[in-house]
Parts: sequence; C-alpha cells; structure tokens
Amino acid sequence: MLTDEFKVREPRINIVSVYPMLIVFLIWVGNARAQDNYEIQVYPSATMAPKTLLIELHSNFTVEGTTTAQFGMLPTEHQAHETIELTQGINDWSEVGFYIFTAAKSGNGIDWVGDHIRPRVRIPPRWHWPVGVSLSSEFGYARPAFSNPTWSWQFMPIVDQSIGRWYWSINGTMVWNIHVVPPPAGFTPEEKQVYYRDVAPPGLTFGPAATLTYAPSKYYNIGIEYYSYYGQWGNFVSLHNQQQQFFPVVNLFISPKWEINFGAGWGATAGTDHLIVKGIVGRYFDWSHHRAGSSKSAQ
Amino acid sequence: MNRRTFIAQAGGALAGAALTSFAADWPPRKPDVLLEIAPLALEIARGRVVHTVAYNGRVPGPLIRWPEGKPIVIDVFNRTSVPEIVHWHGLEIPSEMDGAAEEGSPMIPPGTQFRYAFTPRPAGFRWYHTHSFAGHDLKRGGYTGQFGCFFIEFKSDAGAYDQEVFLALHDWNAYLVAGSDSSMEPGYGYSTIDDRMLGFGDPLKVREGQRILLHLLNASAGLIHWLALAGHELTVVAMDGNPVSTPSPVPAIRVGPAERIDVIVTMNRPGVWILGETRDAMRKAGMGIVVEYANQQSKPRWIDPPEMSWDYRHFAKPQATIREPDQIIPLRFESKFHGPGAVASWTINGKSFPNTDTILLREGQRCRLQMINRSGDDHPLHLHRHTFEVTSFNSQPLAGVNKDVVIVPARTTAEVDFMANNPGATLFHCHNQIHMDFGFMTLFRYA
Repeated sequence: MLTDEFKVREPRINIVSVYPMLIVFLIWVGNARAQDNYEIQVYPSATMAPKTLLIELHSNFTVEGTTTAQFGMLPTEHQAHETIELTQGINDWSEVGFYIFTAAKSGNGIDWVGDHIRPRVRIPPRWHWPVGVSLSSEFGYARPAFSNPTWSWQFMPIVDQSIGRWYWSINGTMVWNIHVVPPPAGFTPEEKQVYYRDVAPPGLTFGPAATLTYAPSKYYNIGIEYYSYYGQWGNFVSLHNQQQQFFPVVNLFISPKWEINFGAGWGATAGTDHLIVKGIVGRYFDWSHHRAGSSKSAQ
Repeated sequence: MNRRTFIAQAGGALAGAALTSFAADWPPRKPDVLLEIAPLALEIARGRVVHTVAYNGRVPGPLIRWPEGKPIVIDVFNRTSVPEIVHWHGLEIPSEMDGAAEEGSPMIPPGTQFRYAFTPRPAGFRWYHTHSFAGHDLKRGGYTGQFGCFFIEFKSDAGAYDQEVFLALHDWNAYLVAGSDSSMEPGYGYSTIDDRMLGFGDPLKVREGQRILLHLLNASAGLIHWLALAGHELTVVAMDGNPVSTPSPVPAIRVGPAERIDVIVTMNRPGVWILGETRDAMRKAGMGIVVEYANQQSKPRWIDPPEMSWDYRHFAKPQATIREPDQIIPLRFESKFHGPGAVASWTINGKSFPNTDTILLREGQRCRLQMINRSGDDHPLHLHRHTFEVTSFNSQPLAGVNKDVVIVPARTTAEVDFMANNPGATLFHCHNQIHMDFGFMTLFRYA
C-alpha cells in the first residue's frame, strides 16, 4: 500500500526498474526509522513512591526483523537489546527515570546505544480524578547506527484506569526529532522528500501505545499491549509503512519488591519487526530504611 | 446478602421494638445528653472546608463525662437523610443499647429520634461514634465527623496531673486509591487533631512544670497514626481507658483506629512545640497541634523522635502469668482479591459477614480469641461490650494490658482473653471502616 502521495505517481510504473533502492526503501521504511524496541513498555500513570528506586532490566530479542542494513542502521533481526532503566520517586506526584540502552548481535559484540532521561509528573490521587493522568518528558541521545533520530525529546500524556479486574492505559507518545541523520548521498529530491517524511521526519511524530489487562489473581495479570508509529503529525505514513505491534503479555506480582513482565510481539504491518520477544525484570529498593510499621514508615 | 442489606433488614425489624421502648418511657425523662446528627460544613484550615456529618454541629461531638455506675439517658436526633446509629465504644452495656444494628440495636430513621438509656461502665476513656455502613460511599460512616469522647469517671481519681486534655485524630476527604495489597483502599486528603489542621487551631497552652494528661483518641476511619510531642517524652498510663500495668515513657505512641491512649507529659522544656504525626507527610496533611508554653512566642518547632516500633509489652506486667482459657476461638483473617480496581472483601475463617459462622460463648467462661492475620495489613480488631486482656502479641506472651481494640500486625498472630460476662449478641470486627463494610466482622452469641 502506498501513501496518497505515491498513488498519484503510480502511472510512472517504471519507477520500479529505475529506482530499485526506493522499492527497498518503501518495504522497510517503517523499520528503518527509529525502532522503539529498546524499552517496550506501556506506562501507568502512577509514579514511583518517594525514596524508592526501581531498577529494571528490559530484554528484547527480535526474532524476525530487518535482515539488511538500512540507511546506516544495522539489521534488527536477531538483535538483542538490553536496557537498564532506573526510576527514582521524588514525591507523591513525580519521579525521574534514566535509561542506558545497549544492543548485542552475534559477531558484533555489545554496543552502547544511548541514554535518555525522563522526568514524569502526575495528577495526585487526592485530586479525585476519575482516571489517572500523568505527563512524561523524555530527552536523550542514541547512536545513529541504532536510532534515527539521534537526539529526541518525547512527550507522553498517560491516561489509565482500573475497573474491577480490568486495567487500561493509553500512552499518547509524541516525539520531537531534534536531530535526524541526513539521507544517504545521491538521493534524488524525491527520495529525500520521502526519506524526511517516512523515515526520519524532523518534526513531531506520533506513536501511541496502549494496554488492556485482566487480573484473575493479585499475583498476576494477562493482557495485550499495543505499540505503534504513525509518522509525522499531520502527515501520517501509510498503514503499510506504519508500525503496528501487538504483544500478548503476562505481568507477575510475586512479591512487593519485584515486578516481572514478559510477552511476544507480533508486527501487523510490513513496516514493523515481525516478531519480538521481551521481558522486564524490576526490583524495588526502599531508600528510607524504615522498618515496616515503625514510627517513620509509610506503611 | 452483605452488611448493608443485613443492617437494612435488621433496622426494619427493630424499628418497631425501638418505638415500643420509647413509648414505654412516657412521660419521657429529661435526657442527660442530647445529640443531634446533622450535616456540617467544617472549616479545618483557612478556606479549606470539608462537608461532613457531625454531632451538635461540632467536631468532635460534645465530651460526655459521667460517673461510673450512674444511669444516663441520651436522646439522639437524626437530622440527616439516611438511617444512623450511635455506638458506645468500650462500654459494657446491653446489646440493644450498644449501637450496632448487627447486635440488635435499632437504626434511627431519618428525621426521628432514639433514646439510649444505660449505666456506663467500666470507668475510663471510652468514646462514641456512628456504626453505620459506608461501603463505597466515603462520605458516610466513620469517614464523617460523627465521633466524640466519653469519659466514665473513676470512683477515686488520684488526679496526678495539672491539666487534662482530650484530643481526637481524624482523616478527611477519603478517596479510593491503589493500596498495598493490590486492591483499592481509601486514601485521605487532610488530617486534623480535633477539628483543625496543624497551624490553624488554637494552641494547647501549658506552663512549665505542669503534668498534662492527654487523652488521645484515633477516630480515623482507617489510618494508624504515630504521635509525638517534640522534645518531650510521653508516659503511657492507660490504653483504651484501662490503666496499664507498667506506665512507661516513650518518644512516640502508635494509635490505631478506635484505640485510645492516655499519656502524662511533664512540661519541662519551655518553647513552642508541635504535638504531631511522626511521619512528615502526615504532619503536612494536617495531623498536629501546637503546644505553647506560657510566655513563649516563636515558630512552632518539630524534632523528629528516634525511630521506634510499637509493642504492647512495654506496658505489660514484667512477668506474663496467664490463666488458661476455658475456650479457644481461632479466627483466621484473609482478603479476597476482586481486581486492582476493586475493593477487596474480607473473611473470618473463610467467610464474609453476614455469612460468617456465629460463635457461641458460655457465660462465666474465660475465652481466648486466637487472631491469625494472614493478610498484608495491620488490623485494629475490636470486640464490642467486653474488655479483653492481650495475652500474646507477635507470638510473645504478655499480661496486664486490657483493651477493647488490638492491632494485629500483618502476617502475625495475636491472642486476647476475655470473660464472657455480658450476655447478648456481641460484634467482633476490624475497625477499619472499609474492611468491616466488606465482610470483616462476625457475631458472638451466648449459649
């Protein structure tokens, strides 16, 4: 499926023979842009408790993805991503997170990919809003071999709600691509136009995520997570080239000190890595050092 | 059937009996105390108003001070739009006067009145409060300002103090929030001592060298509080109105919902201090009161007391000699998960009230309640119409601490002994309002 812009050019069918690179480009356009599969997670609106640190290890493995380098970015297939996320609670309505992204592929060793910092604030529960609401702002750098854009600033409103055993959350992810990698030398103006529209738009892009879970027990829930990339605000790429990914997931709550999430993601469009497996293991650390039930403990 | 429907049915059945009782009291004797239950807009801080229900237009309700053993008549008018009831907490009185519909006391329909008549006993710091169902409506029941102190005077009071002060703790503007046990629990917007947040009420005025007797009541619907007076020690002399065996000084006290603690403070450090919650967040929410020495004017000061844990054994007899009970009643407490967005229900021995098994007591026997808390929460357990002795806490024996509410810490077992000497239906429940409303209660009956 082509975008409207390409449809009007369909009579130039010989474009296929004249511009083979463009065909590859169109097939992999979604994959060639920044893959957000370093930290695959739908956020809740709740923030970390004050004096509490959560250390998470996000492990993602692309079983079926791109097999060739695209615009300077390494193929994703069989690439493992390990991301360490540190989240520190500030008060009852804010937290700050920090990411260390790495990637590994057989024969390539382990590469540092980049770092992001993510302050987040929420509407305090005492305001009695019917839904949880928070706003995340994530800023950072990632190396061009792994991400395009390199410098980015993400704004993400989060809305969620628990209703009985059900829980839903929507993350309205918007990314301002501060610095994108220029297109390869030799691109025609037409290719550059498509590149800046579909691969590395320099402005604001939109890619919402969402989850819906059901908790049969307080020790686990099952659900589905949705991740996407629609493209530049006001100029979305075609569905074919969008990223649309669905992860059946399981979340385990075996201890108040641990969180565990795992799932497998199916890419529904050509622009998405077709199969990714992911796991998150998190451990909470209470810096207050207060004994439960003591005169200083919040419990 | 849940607690709401149980109360509704019990209230309907008992209304006739109540009216009959009222008619039999004709011509009516002049009441000793009048209580009017009515809505109230309460300004707890400048510009901060909570809309609640209270007794006689004030929070807490009027202090009832009455000699032990002298009959009292209390007329209660219900000026609200819902049925209400007043429970006389810690008093050993008949079931139909106790103020719990589950025991047979009548609900007071809107716009009507009811006369409570009983002989207050035993002596000590008791209190009164609504015993109505709130459920999901966090503007009713124990979340409101319907509470007050009831002091039954000792026949002989040593009076080893210069000033006596009653203070009641309460938390306001409850809302449901994700709790520690994966279910929804109430959180609270503000806290007060009596009717004011810290910094907005009149200070408690003292003089150097005075011994102040503080009667402290936790009238919160569900929060356990820690209290300290900056720079001073608190000597615990009584719990739930009953003198302790070993009065002991502590830097702070822990008082659970419905618990009362009497402390003596020797005012030996002139200044302007804060009597408040030991946890910063709670103090910021308003839980505190300024204590001002005569001729001292400065900004109120707070000093963190050393971190401490609470153990009833600090105030127990040095040697625990416990009489063996005639009957041991095991009570196992567990929660039932209904989802992260729902309130958990609670069970005693696997069943939620009113489907719990009624427990039979035999008059004259010493009964032991073996309370096995398998949940992740601390629970303030209350036995109506009886006083018990705490005989085991955190699996350690103790004696000489007599109470009517005991906090059973999470995942521990506590035991209390009591004499079955007050026949009639007797309610036993967690005093956390949302827990009792969602099944955490059971009924004892005498054989």
